[in-house]
Amino acid sequence: MPPAAVRILYHTIVAGLVVAALFLSARLYLGGEPLVGAGVLLVAGLAAVTYLRAKAYTWRYLFPGLLGFAVFVLFPLGYTVYVSFTNYSSANLLRFPQVVRYFETETYLAGDTRYSFALHRVGGEPATYVIALSPPGDESIRYATTPVALDPPPAEPVPVAADNPVPDSPPLALREVIPLRGLLQALSLELPDETLLTNTGLREFGPRLPLWRHNPEDDSFTNVQNGARIVPDHSIGRFVHATDSEIAAAGTPYGPGFRTFIGISNYTRVFTDKGIQGPFIRIFIWTIVFALGSVALSLAVGMTLAVLLEWKQLHGRKLYRTLLVLPYAVPAFISILIFKGLFNQNFGEINLLLNALFGIRPEWFADPLLAKVMILIVNTWLGFPYMMIVCTGILQSVPDTIYEASAIDGSNALHDFFKLTLPLIWQPLFPLLVASFAFNFNNFLLIYLLTGGGPDMVGAATVAGQTDILVSYTFRIAFRDTAQNFGYASAIATIIFVIVALLAWWNLKHQKT
Amino acid sequence: MGSVSIQSLDKIYPAAGKNPAFHAVKGIDLEIQDGEFMVLVGPSGCGKSTTLRMIAGLEDISGGTISIDRSTVNDLLPKDRGIAMVFQNYALYPHMNLFENMAFGLKLARTPKEEVMRRVTDAARILGLEQILDRKPAALSGGQRQRVAVGRAIVRDPKVFLFDEPLSNLDAKMRVSMRSEISKLHSRLKTTMIYVTHDQVEAMTMGDRICVMKDGRIMQVADPLTLYHQPENLFVASFIGSPPMNLLRGRVERREGRLVFVEAAESDAVFVPLAGALAQRAEKNLGHEVVLGLRPEAIYDEARGADTTPLRARVELSELMGSETNVYLKTGAGTVIARLHTERRFAVGEELVVYLALAKAHLFDAKTERVIR
Amino acid sequence: MKASTIRRLKLTLAHVFLVGFLVLTLTPFLMIIAISFRRGDLAIGALVPVGDNFSLEHWKYVLGIPYEAPGADGQPRIIRATTPVLLWFWNSLKVATVASACIILLSGTAAYAFARMRFALRGLLLKSLLVLQVFPMVLALVALYALLQLIGDFLPPFGLNTHPGLILTYLGGIAIYIWMIKGYFDTIPVSIEESAKIDGATHFQAFVRILLPMSAPIFAVVFILSFISHISEYPIASVVLQTERQWTLAVGAQSFLYEQNYLWGKFAATAVLSGLPITALFLACQRFLISGLTSGGVKE
Ligand SMILES: Nc1ncnc2c1ncn2[C@@H]1O[C@H](COP(=O)(O)OP(=O)(O)OP(=O)(O)O)[C@@H](O)[C@H]1O
Ligand SMILES: [Mg+2]
Repeated sequence: MPPAAVRILYHTIVAGLVVAALFLSARLYLGGEPLVGAGVLLVAGLAAVTYLRAKAYTWRYLFPGLLGFAVFVLFPLGYTVYVSFTNYSSANLLRFPQVVRYFETETYLAGDTRYSFALHRVGGEPATYVIALSPPGDESIRYATTPVALDPPPAEPVPVAADNPVPDSPPLALREVIPLRGLLQALSLELPDETLLTNTGLREFGPRLPLWRHNPEDDSFTNVQNGARIVPDHSIGRFVHATDSEIAAAGTPYGPGFRTFIGISNYTRVFTDKGIQGPFIRIFIWTIVFALGSVALSLAVGMTLAVLLEWKQLHGRKLYRTLLVLPYAVPAFISILIFKGLFNQNFGEINLLLNALFGIRPEWFADPLLAKVMILIVNTWLGFPYMMIVCTGILQSVPDTIYEASAIDGSNALHDFFKLTLPLIWQPLFPLLVASFAFNFNNFLLIYLLTGGGPDMVGAATVAGQTDILVSYTFRIAFRDTAQNFGYASAIATIIFVIVALLAWWNLKHQKT
Repeated sequence: MGSVSIQSLDKIYPAAGKNPAFHAVKGIDLEIQDGEFMVLVGPSGCGKSTTLRMIAGLEDISGGTISIDRSTVNDLLPKDRGIAMVFQNYALYPHMNLFENMAFGLKLARTPKEEVMRRVTDAARILGLEQILDRKPAALSGGQRQRVAVGRAIVRDPKVFLFDEPLSNLDAKMRVSMRSEISKLHSRLKTTMIYVTHDQVEAMTMGDRICVMKDGRIMQVADPLTLYHQPENLFVASFIGSPPMNLLRGRVERREGRLVFVEAAESDAVFVPLAGALAQRAEKNLGHEVVLGLRPEAIYDEARGADTTPLRARVELSELMGSETNVYLKTGAGTVIARLHTERRFAVGEELVVYLALAKAHLFDAKTERVIR
Repeated sequence: MKASTIRRLKLTLAHVFLVGFLVLTLTPFLMIIAISFRRGDLAIGALVPVGDNFSLEHWKYVLGIPYEAPGADGQPRIIRATTPVLLWFWNSLKVATVASACIILLSGTAAYAFARMRFALRGLLLKSLLVLQVFPMVLALVALYALLQLIGDFLPPFGLNTHPGLILTYLGGIAIYIWMIKGYFDTIPVSIEESAKIDGATHFQAFVRILLPMSAPIFAVVFILSFISHISEYPIASVVLQTERQWTLAVGAQSFLYEQNYLWGKFAATAVLSGLPITALFLACQRFLISGLTSGGVKE
């Protein structure tokens, strides 16, 4: 292709992408997400500048990667920190405007006026119906809807009018109405005077009125039936009764909760709430023990094997190495689940063997100590090949001549290892050990798939297991607990992030020197 | 056609991270004639490569202008400057065979197939690479790789060839033969060549003219012989020549009515009477700090008429080079090296009288380091 | 004793130790293979699948082939798999392959800029990438979930419960790969690209036609590492993918081991079926990978 054609093609592609982004941004804006729309617009603008201005050349290479990183790492990170300062949870799921709308749409069945109705099937696929209404005691007046599909029920109130035609076909018999009852109840009709009607029985519709009167100046609501007034309490994210009344004492929460900023209380809870503090500290300690233990054990095994396999006179070193790498080569989720099955208390092959040999059936998943031991065994098994590979790589960079020199000096193997090898390989090994520690600190997959954190701790305010590490604990609080306390989970996530980020930063600095 | 003109050229590497900004080339001026073989020499880090890379367009110019063929090229891309460059590490494309390596530029320029074919085979013939055109660089010896790199430059048919230490990765023998090949290539193509090296033998043997640089400045531009015999300053004097020129620090004094050079030394100072042209030059610097420079080959083991001045010294070390011997003599503040045309063996510690050919000596102002004329 | 006798004794001891250790290490694999051929889902009676104990039922189940087995009433019934194991495997392959390809694209270009260009913020950006990347994505699931929900509202093919959506969430994890590729680029002399520029190549041409072909080994390493890590990715997939037919193997395999519905034999067959090709891939590329793991990793 001639260069001019390439340039035209390039500009066309860039322009096409920018137009697509503009379109998406407009849709987002119209779809009620103005902020996100503005974000997309900004990105599209940056992209246009980057890809069309010669000066921004460098950023053309960086843009896609940094965009991916920003959207799928930075944003989630920032969002998590943001959520950690809110009370976001299953009890405080909605945003404030959504809760206001909830109260605005709540209605009650007013008075005892009842309209009788008849249901006419019009046909079609899906079937449409006409609902005909008569005011109480006056069969002569008939309001009717236009033909309307009942399944799924229309979301908006269906208007009825006196001049809509009613089909000639006979209305449905009672036994034909009964199966449609659920659908009818989900429907609301709107009289010409804007009164809303809902289905109140097999033969009747009754008028519904808004239950709450909104007082926009302080966003409070007054109950039109009993006069109770509720006001939003933004410090706890609930509406509460404003005054004492026979219905409820002042300050009693009412209705669904909403998301609100609660300052640092998710963080202070970690240190003050007894039901949380105890488990948190125990989980924290176990996380450290687990991570350190895993690194130490797999390093010990991996290093021993690496040193042994460096022995030139040993035959079959290559075969040994290949077979020993297997635990690392098999995808971790498979190995972990294999161990989960093998260690199973009742059906597992390990207990089968132990029972046959020694007559014991250890409770690997119910006993906290045994569960921890099992986790360390499995993680050592999973981790030693990596350590072996790494140690082999580093060991091979140690010149043979120093061993020859020390042999002449009359040294032995152990002395060689501790006095020569270890000091020499420590420098390159150390950063890898720190990285390995950080990895295990967050080794969610192992804990979650193997024990799921169990056995559970008793007396904890949230779900908390004896073998939970911080990440799995956090994950369970957010996703596997009925309370779904996202705010608290995010606070712990933020703490974890600070710890591992400091570790990574320190490691990076350490490497330089 | 291929003249290169450099005017007050500056290069400042901007500060990056912890490294402060660095002024690598400080306002140099250099005129290179069409067809000339110009060598840039200087110690490591003096800015030779930086200058060359600015000519090539690989490095931004911080100030000044560079013109090739009388038109300014400051803002041109490398490919539009009519240059070709040979790198120290050859910089061959490892995933392409020799033919593709040499044809890459032509293909990018959409040269017709037959033309590519013709030019590559021509270049290959000149360099004796015809038999191995389908090999990859990894399957070549160092010398062959270097030839491919040169071939790639030839194929571009440039107005100016740029070489950045092209021979420093070769062994000593290979270097000598490639050196003469490049010289031959120059006399055959008659194209301007700019050649960077820090090997002064390369500089002296190959260059029509040599540009000596130090710390981002040009110290002297001249043909090899002028450079050798008439160094402008102490740096050039000490840089060119091997073993280097003997440099004795001291002052000019009048003793008993005669001008003498007295070395500044604790004891055993060299003390030489000055005569003739040298005395005239020295007279103007009576009482000043000066440096007396004398090449090792201007010291003899026997008196040659009245022009030579005897000097008594003790042998510290002697290196037998075959037809001649480098003798390191302990005297005054340091060591004086003499290159003696003799096959006689010298014992360490032996007392020796050598004769200095002061007519060939140079005098430098110790402060300005410039030659005294 | 003579020195040579001692040496021979030591060598024998080393072999005994290594073989013993290997047996211990590989037993779980041997067991899982045996279990996949063993009749029934519970370890009753023998461990080894011989004679009456041998059955291909789990394999048939996993491969979706109908087979006969005794029902609850003792009468033989035809059983057809209800769990789409092969589909999960295909889903996993698809997600991991596409994600790795995209990751190579993103990290390769970024690594080029970091290795070859000088710009403001370069050092800071490189380090921040590495430090920020340590944040485990498990913990950001709330945000990722909300993000995919939003994307799904406006671009349905990229929403929750879709594979493109899941792949999107994997595209943030490029920092470590950027560092690896940059480390490799750093070992390639710049003069080769400069030479190409003198030959008339643009920046982009020098990148695509010179640097990329020379860097094939590191791209292979990055592809395989990313592939393996995304095949094994569980937490994000388990939250993003909600219906059984969308699951990846990592999500699906776990469903065999619910206490209430313990399908040990079927799990074993699934594990062998899916573990074999990935393990084979790893071993085949081991030479590459090990050099990728030990060097080039994180160094400037
Ligand atoms: N990219 C850069 N950023 C900052 N300083 C640089 C850069 N490149 C070179 N320099 C500095 O500029 C000076 C001149 O470098 P240059 O490469 O031109 O030296 P040289 O004369 O070619 O030396 P050598 O004989 O060792 O190749 C050196 O001090 C070097 O440290
Ligand atoms: Mg240089």
